[in-house]
Amino acid sequence: MKDSVAQPRKHRSVARRKLFNNSFSVICLLVSSLAIVVLATLLVAIFSTGGNWLSFEMLAGSHRENNPEESGIGQAILGSLVICSICGLVALPIGVGTAIFLEEFKPKGRLLRIFHGLVQLNINNLAGVPSIVYGILGLTAFVYMFGAFSPIRVNDQPDHEIGATYFYQTKTLGGQYVRFPAVPLIQPVIKIKQGRNASKINGDKFKLNVVSASTEKSKYANQVNETVLLGTEAKLSSRNGNQVYEAKTIGGEPFDFPAEATYSQFAKIIEPITVSNSDGDTFSLNVLSKSEPIPTDPTILAQSVFADSPDPNKRSSASIFRENSLFHLHLPFSKSVLSAALTLALVILPIVIIASQEAIRGVPQTLREAAFGMGATRWQVVRSAVLPSATPGIMTGAILAMSRAIGEAAPLLAVMGGVLGTTNHLSSLMDKTPVLPVTIFKWAGDENQGFEHLAAAAIIVLLAFLLLMNSLAIFIRYRYEKKLS
Amino acid sequence: MIRTILNLVIFTSLFALAAGCGSPKTSENSSTKTTPGLDYGDNSSLSGNITIEGSSTVEPISNRAKEKFNGSFPNVNISVSGQGTGNGFKALGAKECDVSDASRPIKQKELEVCKSTGINFYEIPVAYDGLTIVVNKENDFVDELTVEQLKQIFREDTAAKTWKDVNDAWPDKQISIYAPGIASGTHDYFVEVIGKKDGKGLRADEQTMLSEDDKALVTGVKGDKFAIGFFGFSYYDANKDELKAVSIVNPISTKSVAPSMASIESGEYAPFSRPLFIYVNAESYQRAEVKEFVDYYLQNIVEIVKDASYVPLPADIYESAKARIMKDLPGSHYLDAEGNKREGSVTEVYTEANLPK
Amino acid sequence: MSNTSAGQGELLGDAVSPRGKLRPRSSAASKRWQTVVVTGLVFCALVSVFTTIGIILMLVVESWGFFSDDKIEIWKFLTGTKWTVGQTQGELSYGIWPLLSGTLRITGIAMMLALPMGLVSAIYLSEYASKRTRSLLKPTLEILAGIPTVVLGFFAVKFITPYMLEPLGDFKTFNATSAGIAVGILCIPLVASLAEDALRAVPNRLREGAYGLGANRLEVTLKVVVPAALSGIISAFLLALARAIGETMVVALAAGSTPTLTLDPRMPSQTMTGFIVETFKSESVVPGTLSYFSIYAVAAVLFLSTFGITLVGQIIRMKYREVYD
Repeated sequence: MKDSVAQPRKHRSVARRKLFNNSFSVICLLVSSLAIVVLATLLVAIFSTGGNWLSFEMLAGSHRENNPEESGIGQAILGSLVICSICGLVALPIGVGTAIFLEEFKPKGRLLRIFHGLVQLNINNLAGVPSIVYGILGLTAFVYMFGAFSPIRVNDQPDHEIGATYFYQTKTLGGQYVRFPAVPLIQPVIKIKQGRNASKINGDKFKLNVVSASTEKSKYANQVNETVLLGTEAKLSSRNGNQVYEAKTIGGEPFDFPAEATYSQFAKIIEPITVSNSDGDTFSLNVLSKSEPIPTDPTILAQSVFADSPDPNKRSSASIFRENSLFHLHLPFSKSVLSAALTLALVILPIVIIASQEAIRGVPQTLREAAFGMGATRWQVVRSAVLPSATPGIMTGAILAMSRAIGEAAPLLAVMGGVLGTTNHLSSLMDKTPVLPVTIFKWAGDENQGFEHLAAAAIIVLLAFLLLMNSLAIFIRYRYEKKLS
Repeated sequence: MIRTILNLVIFTSLFALAAGCGSPKTSENSSTKTTPGLDYGDNSSLSGNITIEGSSTVEPISNRAKEKFNGSFPNVNISVSGQGTGNGFKALGAKECDVSDASRPIKQKELEVCKSTGINFYEIPVAYDGLTIVVNKENDFVDELTVEQLKQIFREDTAAKTWKDVNDAWPDKQISIYAPGIASGTHDYFVEVIGKKDGKGLRADEQTMLSEDDKALVTGVKGDKFAIGFFGFSYYDANKDELKAVSIVNPISTKSVAPSMASIESGEYAPFSRPLFIYVNAESYQRAEVKEFVDYYLQNIVEIVKDASYVPLPADIYESAKARIMKDLPGSHYLDAEGNKREGSVTEVYTEANLPK
Repeated sequence: MSNTSAGQGELLGDAVSPRGKLRPRSSAASKRWQTVVVTGLVFCALVSVFTTIGIILMLVVESWGFFSDDKIEIWKFLTGTKWTVGQTQGELSYGIWPLLSGTLRITGIAMMLALPMGLVSAIYLSEYASKRTRSLLKPTLEILAGIPTVVLGFFAVKFITPYMLEPLGDFKTFNATSAGIAVGILCIPLVASLAEDALRAVPNRLREGAYGLGANRLEVTLKVVVPAALSGIISAFLLALARAIGETMVVALAAGSTPTLTLDPRMPSQTMTGFIVETFKSESVVPGTLSYFSIYAVAAVLFLSTFGITLVGQIIRMKYREVYD
């Protein structure tokens, strides 16, 4: 681009330009190789810190507080796998469906076209939203469920629950624990703990409002006839042939609400009942009255309790506990594997959509046209022509999205908290579980030197998983490309 | 494609090599399968969940109790978290936990929250702690500090900027402060000693890092040559090789005393010796698994506390605590009827007469 | 592309399918099934719409809870220079600038590292590299892109700070520089791949034309290709910027939890994301309290900035894209 006017200038500038050209080439090379150097340093640093601490004990064990030598990531690996699987099961159908909608079903009407464009723009932007914002969304939408259900408290059962079996357990005089199944009953008296629908004597229905003793009177002054204090007792009675609980509002007006069978927290043992112990034996509990002498035979002792008595040391009420089945669910989800999986699904949804879109776009148009030419409907075209050829690309995208999911810590930290180890292993979707990235995060922040090494070892495991998944993606792509061509 | 496979092979062999090199790290006496004290054998029939929240200072003690307890009763699911004494009391009042760990007694406001939600609790002192002031290992100019100097460094009104401001002989470098945050009982206790009487609190400026996570504080002081911080004795003890504890000049005897199990127990390490508590939800105690756990905790408390590097209380305090539970006497000994805090040592305050009627 | 009779049969949707099953299906039935399917697909698309609506609604509603509190004024929030919401002893200050300053400092350092390195790598990959170097560099960048952020956070706090920074002087344990470097490393692959796409999209005729006029490679690159791909490059920068602003785990591990308002990169610097994580870690999120609402207020600022930057990046890429046909 230099005009050929002044010869000496051109000659100089050619040499200079050549110099710049060559040095730039070298600079480029150096700078680019910096990336390789950085990666190598990273890997070497991590392997040297954590390599020695990898062992089968470590892979299988679980976190032991203040004891890095005996801690392990077994629970975390299981937790990560479970959460990522559920997350994938949710995100993939929705993501692929959205991609098909965006690519294959472009609407004609103007309004719908705007909708279409908005969805597309929306997805591109969602991909850039920080993952912690998804964590907050998950917290509000899945854990607290917008406050629609009352939070779970100790010494109380969740309002909406399935898949849980309740037992009572008590200690026999011999020191062993026995249990028997709990049955929900309509209790004679209950304490009102939360609002519900109730009706007045004249039949009017209203929503009962419950306030605690410390709430200022002004806050409910205009509702005294629809409000009760927390803990007000309601007695069982019947009205029109139905069993109801009756109580009075703060304003003195009586009301009632339908009686439901509930589990009481404690069961008094008055007569012999069939119980089972930890060895699986079932027997009938031997109930002694206070005046009877305590038997001396240890076997009998192991099967005896005192009848219910006011003396706390001789009390024989059994307390309730819950055994979860695999399908245990309750509302609100609160901090659980399910909330975490759903939140993670939201995080990777944009990635799945974009990757699937690209895969679908890669299907040659001639394929579609041939199908249309045969008289197929739009959906048939998609199902039989587009999807089969787009599948390898979609699967690759899915696997890459999963590898992103397995490394995400921020949303899980928000939704499940920093769980490091649970006594019982994962048994239902409502449990909390440690996951690999959060475990690494907490161990990295621990001042104990041992945990630093453990964190590095856990990182190695995480990287190995990622490598596996990426290799799988590459393998699938290679194999299917070969197949199609 | 071949290249990818090559990379995969290299990486996998690296991985396998690293795993193979891994010698399982064994340590001698860390198994907690055998339990001293009451031994029921392997009683796996007891089930249930127990939630413990609260002070990160007391967290090591509750964790030890949990591990020992799970040795005998493996099916009881106990979760311990240490997000601060204040948060523990909040959870107790909101019925979100069964036991609340606390490094200071309950305050009147927190008591009222519990009353309004119908919570009764048993106040149980578990150990003595010496709040330890630490500096970086390479700090060679600070060996002892007086309470006055501590006020200069930590209070929000005096807030010394450099070490030189406190003592002319010290270097002219900025002080980096690592302290527990507002929800921590350790924070409250420290503020009581250095500022409560004048209504002043802990500084919260740019030189100060506040965190409820004691582990982050340890890391902070370890890495910063001109840092100073404080937390419970157990955290210092676990990192003795990498931190330096500052001796405090006892305001009464005017002798400078270093924190140690002995000086905390004798009370010589003042004014930073303080009792630690757990607050047990009385309704939760009726549950079989909670009752078993709390009884176990108290039965083995001396060993548990010593294991966690804290100092056990005199035996009669533990007996009184057990008696409170036996006789079902809930409430706090540290607040009187008007809501004011009672001062004094544990032996003085923890009497039945001080319970609410 | 299969043209077998089996394929044709499938496409017809009725008569015989390859497995010999007779599946008579009228075109009316096919159309009805299609409506069902399309409805299902629309619902899928709606999920993403609801996600955005959910995020916006939640942030607006809960930030309202923050700003409607008597103690908070929105003006002070936007201009104040002290943030003590996490430490509510004594005076409550809620100026967002310390958190913003933390974010800006770390993002600044990250961009200083990522933009040049990413762009140069992209130029190298698209204009200079031989096949061999390409096959080494590209996978490296892809691996770097796939490394989880906790790993980089660990690297920052355990290696960058003690080994790289301590020898250099007065760096605090938690500082902005090591977090900035780690975030920069995170963003390099993003810049590189997006910029490379943009550079590759420039048709070869432009290059050939320039070579024909006697330019050497450097001049072709800097004077022809880069300007032609400028919109894509700028879009790449903006997307990387958004990524850096939203980075959470690295800053949570390496940058500390003290909000500071300073230009000194050696001081701890809590960012907006760092504050949110710190509040979650301390689990003092009791719904209804001021600290609970403050999470949403900060998250709103965070969301607005990243959403805004991403949007601008998209618009630039689409509007200013030079189309060569």
